[in-house]
Amino acid sequence: MATFLHILLIIAISFACLFMFSLVVYFFNLDMKLTTSLEPLFQKHYDRRKRERNL
Amino acid sequence: MGKAIGSEKLGKLFNGKARCRKRREWRGFRDTWYDYTRWVKIIWMLSKFMMHPKNVKGFFRYRWMVNYLAVPMMIDKHSFGLRGNHLRICREEYDLIADDVAKLLTMIFSADQNLGAKPKDSAHIILVDENEMTNVLCGFPTLQGLSWETASSYVCCLLKGDSAAHYLDVVQQMGLPGDVCPMPATEAGVCIDDDMPILGKCAVQCNTTCDGSLLGNGVISRKLKAHGIPVFQLAVPMRHTEEGVQEYAAQEIRNAVKFIEEQTGAKWDWNAYFECAKRINIGARECSEWLEMTKTDYPQVIGNNILLYRETEYMAIAGKVPAFAETDLKITKLATESYKRKEMLAKEYRHRAVIWGVQSQFYTDVLAWMLNCWGILPMFDMLTMIALDPISENDKEQAFYDMAHQYENMIMRNRTHGGYEVLLDDLWRYCAEYRADMVILWEHIHCKALNGMHGMFEQQARKRGIHLVWVNHDLFDPRIIPRASLRQDVNRYMRSVLCEEPLDPSLEEIDDTNNW
Repeated sequence: MATFLHILLIIAISFACLFMFSLVVYFFNLDMKLTTSLEPLFQKHYDRRKRERNL
Repeated sequence: MGKAIGSEKLGKLFNGKARCRKRREWRGFRDTWYDYTRWVKIIWMLSKFMMHPKNVKGFFRYRWMVNYLAVPMMIDKHSFGLRGNHLRICREEYDLIADDVAKLLTMIFSADQNLGAKPKDSAHIILVDENEMTNVLCGFPTLQGLSWETASSYVCCLLKGDSAAHYLDVVQQMGLPGDVCPMPATEAGVCIDDDMPILGKCAVQCNTTCDGSLLGNGVISRKLKAHGIPVFQLAVPMRHTEEGVQEYAAQEIRNAVKFIEEQTGAKWDWNAYFECAKRINIGARECSEWLEMTKTDYPQVIGNNILLYRETEYMAIAGKVPAFAETDLKITKLATESYKRKEMLAKEYRHRAVIWGVQSQFYTDVLAWMLNCWGILPMFDMLTMIALDPISENDKEQAFYDMAHQYENMIMRNRTHGGYEVLLDDLWRYCAEYRADMVILWEHIHCKALNGMHGMFEQQARKRGIHLVWVNHDLFDPRIIPRASLRQDVNRYMRSVLCEEPLDPSLEEIDDTNNW
């Protein structure tokens, strides 16, 4: 029983941490800040790709 | 920062050097919590999208896919400053659109020959143009109509203002003219740059209204034919208000149906068509309800909350997705509640404006800026006032005329062609009906369709005592006319002609040069 409660506690704490983390990400727009920093890397990838450019 | 509308100086959220805003808005606990839960839902939807292996492949294959990183920000932009039910209406609409676009992308990548699919995988897919109505597919429940241009160009520009820049450069590098509308030019650029998904059993292109569209459709249809995808040219009359052209227009619809039947082996299903017709009528009826509220002192579904949603609904959806009709009813419920409580979208309405002309695609959220900065209430735009008449839900002969009417009045047709009655007379009629004292007139500098009427607009607005604010833009290309210049056109009028002070001075001059 004690082990079960211990596991439940760990799950509850994990969810609480995840929840707090997502709130911070949401409010400070960290998701968009991350994706804007990824964009130049993706552009380099697209630039490297061979293309058959024709009309 | 707080619950009340206008309690936060919204200008401080902008950072010109960065590609996104400093943080999200604090809208009071209840609304911020609501917005947060909807954000979680969107992040979950995007995560599920990226779990599909074909979608990951598509993401790395196509340059335009990088724009989809900005989905949460696009929704933030369009819900700028909103609270309460208006925020809920916005989220219901944009979340549904995001979900629908994710399904469209999944469908494209599942059938795309560039990603390893076989032609038989897209035997049920009919390609249509980006600006084309899709009513002709309502009678084919086993087939799927889709537009790759919507995914690669139209939506991308909403997501990220400068998304078209690369493709516009490609078009001009290949020697095609640079002075046409950048929307079809972008589509042609995607095609030339080897970024066009290859899929579809056949395609139905519709003659849109400009030199750019002719150019773009020519390039695309040649590519489609090279891949063995036959194209039907649905030639809809331009003078759509004239009685004499209606029989021809209906016959063109019959020809398109016959072409699809021949190519796919599918048979037109009247039951499926009339099911869609019922949902189309629900959309039109509910939108008319919202517009009725707009006539009063307490409009509820306006500006960004009516503009892109209705375009998507009557054009790309056309009754085929039941979720849109359900959302319409939810919106009406929310709007009615707010109307009864006399809720407003800004702390003060100073001007009731009709939005006319071809809107800037890279800055659709300028309407939210006008409302929050100057108290200009953007009631509805030119493209909202389409497809509001009920269509037949049981008459098979009338159905062809109804479909023809939808195509004749599709985006970029219903106002820019059909004579000055639909462009000028209708505008003044709406101004009187909705008690507008201001018209925000988009001047898309590469659109030749409206430029000839410039003088007549000015003359007639002056005669009626209506404030006419010209806002110049270049539709898809913020390098030609940046966002700040659009705002400057409004600021100049408000300061020098009307001698007014802004509601939120922090928004008058903002630096969003590099923002997505």
